[in-house]
Amino acid sequence: MKEIKAKLIEKIGGSFENVSVKDHDSNRLDFHVDTNVIPQILTFLKVNMGYIHLSHISCVDWIEDGEFEIVYIVWSPTEKLKVFVRTRISREKPLLPNIDMIWRQANTYERELREMYGVEVDGLVADKEFLLEDWEGMPPMRRDFKTEEYAQNTFWSRDGREDAVDVREEIIKRSREEIPDFAKKYSR
Amino acid sequence: MREKATTLYFGPQHPGITGNMMIRLKVEGDTIVKATTEVGYLHRAFEKLQEKRNWLQSFTMMCRFCVPETDPMEELYARAVETIEGREVPERAKYIRVMVLELARLASFMLWYGGQNGSLGLYTMGQWSVGDRNYILDLFEELTGGRVYHMYIWPGGVRRDLPKGFEQKVIKTMDYLEKRLGDYDDLMFDNAIFKKRTQGVGIVDKDTAVEHGVVGAVLRGCGIKSDIRIDEPYEVYSKLDFEVPTSEGADIWARALVRRQEARQSIRIIRQVIDMMPGGAVYNKIPNPQKWKLPKGDAYVRVESVRGEVGLYAVSDGGTMPRRIHLRGAAYVHGITLLEDVLVGENIADVSAIMNSLGTCPPEIER
Amino acid sequence: MINDKNSQKISDFVQNWARKHSIWVLAYGTGCGAIEIPPTMTSRYDAERLGVRGAATPRQADVLLITGYLTTKTLKRVIRVYEQMQDPKYVIGFGSCTINGGMYYDSYNTIKLLDKYLPVDVYINGCMPRPESVLAGFGKLQELIAEGKANGAKEYKENHKYYRDNLRKIIGNKYEMPEYNW
Repeated sequence: MKEIKAKLIEKIGGSFENVSVKDHDSNRLDFHVDTNVIPQILTFLKVNMGYIHLSHISCVDWIEDGEFEIVYIVWSPTEKLKVFVRTRISREKPLLPNIDMIWRQANTYERELREMYGVEVDGLVADKEFLLEDWEGMPPMRRDFKTEEYAQNTFWSRDGREDAVDVREEIIKRSREEIPDFAKKYSR
Repeated sequence: MREKATTLYFGPQHPGITGNMMIRLKVEGDTIVKATTEVGYLHRAFEKLQEKRNWLQSFTMMCRFCVPETDPMEELYARAVETIEGREVPERAKYIRVMVLELARLASFMLWYGGQNGSLGLYTMGQWSVGDRNYILDLFEELTGGRVYHMYIWPGGVRRDLPKGFEQKVIKTMDYLEKRLGDYDDLMFDNAIFKKRTQGVGIVDKDTAVEHGVVGAVLRGCGIKSDIRIDEPYEVYSKLDFEVPTSEGADIWARALVRRQEARQSIRIIRQVIDMMPGGAVYNKIPNPQKWKLPKGDAYVRVESVRGEVGLYAVSDGGTMPRRIHLRGAAYVHGITLLEDVLVGENIADVSAIMNSLGTCPPEIER
Repeated sequence: MINDKNSQKISDFVQNWARKHSIWVLAYGTGCGAIEIPPTMTSRYDAERLGVRGAATPRQADVLLITGYLTTKTLKRVIRVYEQMQDPKYVIGFGSCTINGGMYYDSYNTIKLLDKYLPVDVYINGCMPRPESVLAGFGKLQELIAEGKANGAKEYKENHKYYRDNLRKIIGNKYEMPEYNW
């Protein structure tokens, strides 16, 4: 595992600039790279290094830094190594390069990013709407979108019981059943 | 003469669709020339809600991600939290986890048997296999208290130890199911109609599979030996002896053959796990969940479900609540882009069978 | 027909008796509750002995089973489907999330109160309700039908504006929906 990681770090460091590496104990290696080299680095990993499986694309909203962190996770079935390619983009004008020509399924992830975080993807061809319909306003997965407030303002909710009255007797009377003896001790 | 193209809406209310989703089919005659999926009917915003709940509260949401097979999701969450926190899991809990996961896998296979054959008009199989699935759910009920949602595999181990005599009950059920699997073969794989309807239909070849990032039985159905349980063994899978079946046909029939073998392998694993199960504690207690803070960090864990690889990316910012939980199901890949590509050139009548075969599970896509 | 009270009573009784024994459920799994429907319908629980069986299209169905939470996107389709169903029609709310939102009480995409949008005859609680409780729910519905109390369809027709206004509040004016989907 160590040699594989060292080889990969050397190859990636030699071909791309501004790459910082973080090693983990397990079969995992993190690269932090610039946003504009994402397609090149992923193509390099897929074509030259055998990381043929795109496992995941995720986005984390670091609102206190004013940035989104995008994480691409690729997997090599031969070397059994997970490689994380991470990049940070600004929250104000988030723009990502498109990678759905490298992996077809990346299209779905990018659609979700666009809808849920408002991250624009350069040259993505897909329907604008993915999970939501007629959604207006802030993309819902951003940290500053308040879901509870939105739900209270939009939907009706059932009023709860204020008191803690035991209504079991009443319900049982209604359904003409009797509490069996073994259940009585659990009753309040 | 060229036939006029018509647009058909397949779903969301359609008896043949696997869940609540919609496919817009453009057909010429009854051949599909273009398919567009539309999802989002089940989007409950779990990932948003989990950011507002503490680490234990958001665990209860995990099993609701995909209903046919709920335990892999719990396993994922438990393992992600343990990886971030560095929490040890007792040895016995690991064995119990594998047993529960394989039971869940078997239950999901039973549902697949019913669905795959129901989509082709063979309803007897549904009566048999979904009926037999209840025996596995009975085991779950005794173990966890719930038929569908178990919330059993949780961070730090499992919720409680096995009840007295549970192992014998599992073995008895396995004996019964092994016998029944033979009956299913007679009904399904010796059936000329099933053969004719599935061979050469819904082909996902090797190149398409790699391009689309296909996982699980679909990948094994086109001859690539890939299984997270072997590639990146979790819990105690590295100590167990089992095979990963593959098939060359790349069509529905090939995938059915793979699943047929896998169900048998699951039974084999369960038997082994029960034989090898050590004693001891099953739960490494977590602190007060209201004050339970995880260190800053992230983890990506994967598990092999019936539909294929399922991954979970969890990020902690050092607080009591998750920063981000992101689940990526097998259906996320199979259910949208791959389905759109595979359906082109197929017959309308086969759409349902193809969807079942690819393992399309909308709640997992939409979360 | 002679227009006196007794004959009306007898015809009602016969009608309700017939309706009660053939409850066809629309095959529309709107949420995760759909997973307990196959066990309910197949060999062990066998709902067909009560006259409960699946129907493929809304026109043939009597019962709309709302299996769990409804997202706003599904809600539009469900209303559409409900309005397409033929008159003796009933709605069963299945699972805690139809009653008060359940664990999705603060979700931005699911409705919390089903009876604001559809006239619900029977609620089945639990997450997930067991097949036995589903059967009990159908039994309760049969009881209500026999007593002539399950007239949600009539209620819907009379208070159509109320239900449609509630729906409009959720779906906005962007989504096109005719006054009544026949």
